[in-house]
Amino acid sequence: MRTIALGAFAVLATFACGGNTTGGSSAQAAPADQQVLRINDGTDPNSLDPTQQTYTYEAAVGRLTFQPLLQPNAGLTDVQPAAAQSYDVSSDGLTYTFHLRSDAKWADGKPVVAADWVYGWKHFLNPALAAGYVDPFFDQTIAGGSGYSDVDVKSASAIDSYLNGLGLSAPDDHTFVVKLAAPAGYFKWVASLWVAIPLRKDIVEQAAGGAFPSTDTTKAEAWANDPKTIVGNGMFKISDYTAKDHLTLVPSSSYWGGAPKLQKIIYYFISDGNTAFAKYRTGDLDMLNVPIANVDVVRQDPQLSKQAKLYPKLSTFWMTYNAKETPLDNADVRLALSKSIDRDKLTKDVLKGTDTPIQSFIPKGMNGYDSSLGDPQKFDPAAAKQLLQKAGVTAADLSKFKLLTRDTTGNKTVNQFISQQWQDNLGANIAVDVVDSKTVTSRIRKGQFDIYGPDGWGADYPDQQDWFDIFTSAACHSLNWGCVNMPGYDALVQKADSTKSDSDRNPLYKQAQKQLIDTANVGFIYQQAEYNLIRPYVQNLTITGIDDQYIPGDLYYHDVFISKH
Amino acid sequence: MANTAIGGRPARGALPVRRLLAPSSRGAALALFVARRVLWMVPVLFFVILITFTLMHLAPGSPWDKAGGRQLSASIVENLNTRYGLDKPIWQQFLLYLWNVTHFDFGLSYQYQGRTVSALLVSAWPYTATLGVLAFCVIVPAGIGLGVVAALRQNSRIDYIAMGFSTFGASVPNFVVGMLFIIVFGVMLYNITGGNYSLPVSGFGLDDHLIMPVVTLALLPTAFIARLTRASTLDILRQDYVRTAWAKGLSERLVVLKHILKNSLIPIVTALGPTFAFLVTGSVIVETVFVIPGIGRSFVEAVTSRDYPMILATTVLFSVVVAIANLVVDVLYVFIDPRVRLT
Repeated sequence: MRTIALGAFAVLATFACGGNTTGGSSAQAAPADQQVLRINDGTDPNSLDPTQQTYTYEAAVGRLTFQPLLQPNAGLTDVQPAAAQSYDVSSDGLTYTFHLRSDAKWADGKPVVAADWVYGWKHFLNPALAAGYVDPFFDQTIAGGSGYSDVDVKSASAIDSYLNGLGLSAPDDHTFVVKLAAPAGYFKWVASLWVAIPLRKDIVEQAAGGAFPSTDTTKAEAWANDPKTIVGNGMFKISDYTAKDHLTLVPSSSYWGGAPKLQKIIYYFISDGNTAFAKYRTGDLDMLNVPIANVDVVRQDPQLSKQAKLYPKLSTFWMTYNAKETPLDNADVRLALSKSIDRDKLTKDVLKGTDTPIQSFIPKGMNGYDSSLGDPQKFDPAAAKQLLQKAGVTAADLSKFKLLTRDTTGNKTVNQFISQQWQDNLGANIAVDVVDSKTVTSRIRKGQFDIYGPDGWGADYPDQQDWFDIFTSAACHSLNWGCVNMPGYDALVQKADSTKSDSDRNPLYKQAQKQLIDTANVGFIYQQAEYNLIRPYVQNLTITGIDDQYIPGDLYYHDVFISKH
Repeated sequence: MANTAIGGRPARGALPVRRLLAPSSRGAALALFVARRVLWMVPVLFFVILITFTLMHLAPGSPWDKAGGRQLSASIVENLNTRYGLDKPIWQQFLLYLWNVTHFDFGLSYQYQGRTVSALLVSAWPYTATLGVLAFCVIVPAGIGLGVVAALRQNSRIDYIAMGFSTFGASVPNFVVGMLFIIVFGVMLYNITGGNYSLPVSGFGLDDHLIMPVVTLALLPTAFIARLTRASTLDILRQDYVRTAWAKGLSERLVVLKHILKNSLIPIVTALGPTFAFLVTGSVIVETVFVIPGIGRSFVEAVTSRDYPMILATTVLFSVVVAIANLVVDVLYVFIDPRVRLT
């Protein structure tokens, strides 16, 4: 048994690793009735059940009403304790033993026991509920989980035997044990996801009107329809919810870490960016993700510009080339296209200097970032033309292609710019083809496109394992839309993913990243950053690169407070 | 909604046959007429559902596709299809849906997991209906008032102002007006008063939250009704019986209210029916701009996320409301114009 020491050095990590904290504890707190944080979260969560939430804006509610075993530290270098006080990993890397806090309580005051964790994880892994985050994070890692997709969801006995065969157990009230199918050094990150939570069997069954078969999804989710039955182990609880309008959170008095300083968090669900911006300007919001169209307005406003905060996210964007089409199957042609996009101009003029140019895969701020790897894709129109010549392809050959574009303002302006770049630098007339979002998804899944973008990846957690599998041949038509053939890549990624020590797997990932860039599987263009307005009286906000654009700092709301203003 | 355009029904006033009906038989005829029209709604709804159902399933994309990030694996999509009954053949899904609708069961929403469509609509409609009814209460007096005044003072300054306003109201789109209001009465008013007062820019509340959305919602129909009233009143003004009334020396009040206004109402009532239906089923734009949690927004969100049960239920709701509004208009004719007979 190897015990991994977990201590309270989150603050140190913040400074050491470029964490992003606003204000300071020196500021004087405002009276309790002013400890209110008002945020626009854009859109309602699809469910109040965290296991069913698949996007970070949805997890805004899940992350605060419930708490997973571990959570990312502020510098995103490792995990730190959350609901688990500590955890051990067996020497073969197959058994994770989580030591639960003995003082952990549900929002209604009852103690959280290990059986609740087993019940919660089984609820999440019930194939009939088809939760979006099970595959591949949980079914591919937990022992007995791999049959997830093949369970007959119309048979309660089939579901039960699958769930009972999972490597989840509770040897005593404060120990939760997870057995893995194979060593997975990244499992600590998986255990920090908002979907991996405990649930109260009595509450779920009471809301369902009694015990129910595992096939009955309506009953299994009945508890999530009423804010009153959302009893979590998190630091906040829901006090009221009006769909499509707002949701209010108040502190849970039984939270083990003491009550948070904020007395109220109000999430508004305003999908119209202009309205949200006006709401901020009339003093009714404390934080706001600035729509790109309003970035200049903010910069020119003497007051607003002081409240603006730019923070990089662990997400990279790129252009995807359909390698099933000639001559896009030729790496030189893909490289030529990638080398003829002026990324500096794109980020400066079109993206208003919020995002940063990138020519490599792993974003800055994450282990594995190496800008020098990106040189083969660097902007160089002359070299691009030579590559085309070498491939025996003319600009006219490329002009038959179209650039598939989702119908949002952001995507349209980026792609119009890129199309113009190909026109100017290569003489290729690749028209922008704007299509509604659902149609785009359905077309890329079927491979019905020439070039598509900007497509991207945001870290689920800051581990390289989360990134490289999206370009394996198994992901062809699921995330690897272009289906570029990269000999040896799959084996390389598989080897890295199942290697235990970081020092052994990092070089493997580096090799994989080099291959991705050199063959221009996709053309990397920019790393996303978020431009947010935050009132100066919002203190102690700790922002990380995996936070949602609408809710920066929500992993660390416990220490946030409103200062006198 | 866009498909319930304002206006469109021909006036039934052109039935000159005058018959003396005893009150009781007239009441019976009315009841028969209403009953028949209500029965007609059944085939109408059937076709509305059939067409919506077909178009919806023809639209590319599935409810389970994601705009970004990991896509669900094929077998998980299968499980979701099983969970929501999408694994059955299309014709079976259609028949099952019809069967459920006759039991007032509109199914489960895909977008808001685990919640029934009926519950979502029931919680959303009060917001939409409140705005719609209030806007209607603005439109009727404002539209008719402006129109009558403009007609009575034709080619005067009042006429030009009234018609100038209605040209503006009819030609500037809702989202521009809404955004303009937000900037002027929200942001600018806030800055001018030093942060002490502004109209709330979003959300629903039974207070000053209502002002901007109701005015924005009322603007276009008011302009439309004003123009219609003006034209119709001008038409009546030239009638012989109006000239007779003036010649008899009747007071202006009597001539205008009894002889002119009542007779010019037929085309206005015709237009007000669909207008009312359009208002209480929600305006997509006004609800989006002012963030009203009503059914106009639900409909758009349902379409973009391919939430089939929600799309169907909102369409059915719109159709029922439009059909009822038209029915009410037809019945109102009887009371406005004694010449009208319902057949």
